[in-house]
Formats: sequence, structure tokens, C-alpha cells
Amino acid sequence: MAIDEDPEGHEIAALGAMVSFASCRVLEIGCGDGRLTERYADQAALVVAVDPDADAVSELAAAFPHVDARAIGFEELALPPGSFDIVLFAWSL
Amino acid sequence: MVKPTGWIVDLHPSAARASVEAAGACTGYVDADDAPLRHAAAGVALAAAIDEGLFALEQALVFSFYTYGDTIEELRDHVVENWRSARIDDDTIARTRERLRDSSGARPRIREEVHLSKLRPIAHSRSGRSSSGLW
Repeated sequence: MAIDEDPEGHEIAALGAMVSFASCRVLEIGCGDGRLTERYADQAALVVAVDPDADAVSELAAAFPHVDARAIGFEELALPPGSFDIVLFAWSL
Repeated sequence: MVKPTGWIVDLHPSAARASVEAAGACTGYVDADDAPLRHAAAGVALAAAIDEGLFALEQALVFSFYTYGDTIEELRDHVVENWRSARIDDDTIARTRERLRDSSGARPRIREEVHLSKLRPIAHSRSGRSSSGLW
């Protein structure tokens, strides 16, 4: 067995107690390899996930082709104003 | 980037040191260089954005995030490879090994305390300043 991160699901449970991702347009900043993304992406209408780590983003893009995964930093993002219901800073501030 | 009716959600570790645990006991801490300062700075940045009236804090909570390995060596290597300038020292590794020796089936873990905040953007139409344009 390998490293096991948050097998109890505390993170997604805490998030779920705060916001609903259902039918939402979500921008995730600091997605890494999609550890958190995979836990809510199926509920969302659209997910744009960004991270400067190109290798990690490649893993995410391969595993979840329906996620718009971009290997860029937050400051490089060019998106229309008001285009997301949820902007999620995932351990990235 | 966020709609005026949308939410900013932030997850970041607290300034508390991440602890190493085995069989229900804390056996040491992860040495993470400037991580406590960086994590505290994230909290300060959020507080500043709220003080400046860009966002209103709607909800906040703290939870524990655990990372498990089969062995303490596996956790040690994971920290070196995936955390920024962090390590588990030899004394902590020895204490964890000893604790695990007496507890068959137990897996070592790292506990991080994580802050979760939900913020609502506040529009500033008269000044032209808009939180949704900044985030």
C-alpha cells in the first residue's frame, strides 16, 4: 500500500458542509494532481483546475478528461469576470 | 472571477506544526522550515481582504487532515519528496518505530490542522473596486 491522504474524507466532508458543488462552475487554484478535484468534479457543471506543476496537472488531465486542467499559475489566468460560482483556493494561498 | 452571488473558499494549513502520530500517540513533529510562517501569512492575507471590505466571512471551521503510510520511512520519504523544505527527524522516526513495534497493525500518520473559510465577495460599485475582479 502507498501513501494514503485523508482516507477518512475529512476535507471533502468539511467542504460539503459549507458549499454545494452541484451544477456549479468551479475554479480550483492549486489543484496539484487532482487529489481534491476528483472528490467533487462529478457534481460540478464545469471545473477549471490550475496549478503551475505541469507534471501534476498532466496526471489530473489524464485521469479526469472532463476537467479543464491548466498548467499555469493563478496570476497567468485570463478568464472573464464573474464566470465562476466557486473559486476554491486549495492549500494555495 | 467569482460571480457576485458566488463564493471564495479557502483551505490552508494552520500555523500549528504538523504532528507525527503512531498508535494514538504523538511521536514528534514535521520540521517544515518556514511553513508555519507561510501558513500564518495565508490567514493574515484573508483577514486583510476582509478588513478591506473585499469579502465577508460567512463561515469558518478547522479540521484534521491525516496522511498515512505503511511505515514511518514511507512517510519520511513522502514528506521530503512532496512538502516544501520539510523533513521528519531521526528521533521522531525512532520513537515512531518503537511505538509501532508494540502495536501490530497500526499505521503511522501525519496530522495537519486545516482552516477552511467561506467568503462572499462584496461589490464596490461606487469606487469601481470589485472583489470579483480581483479573485
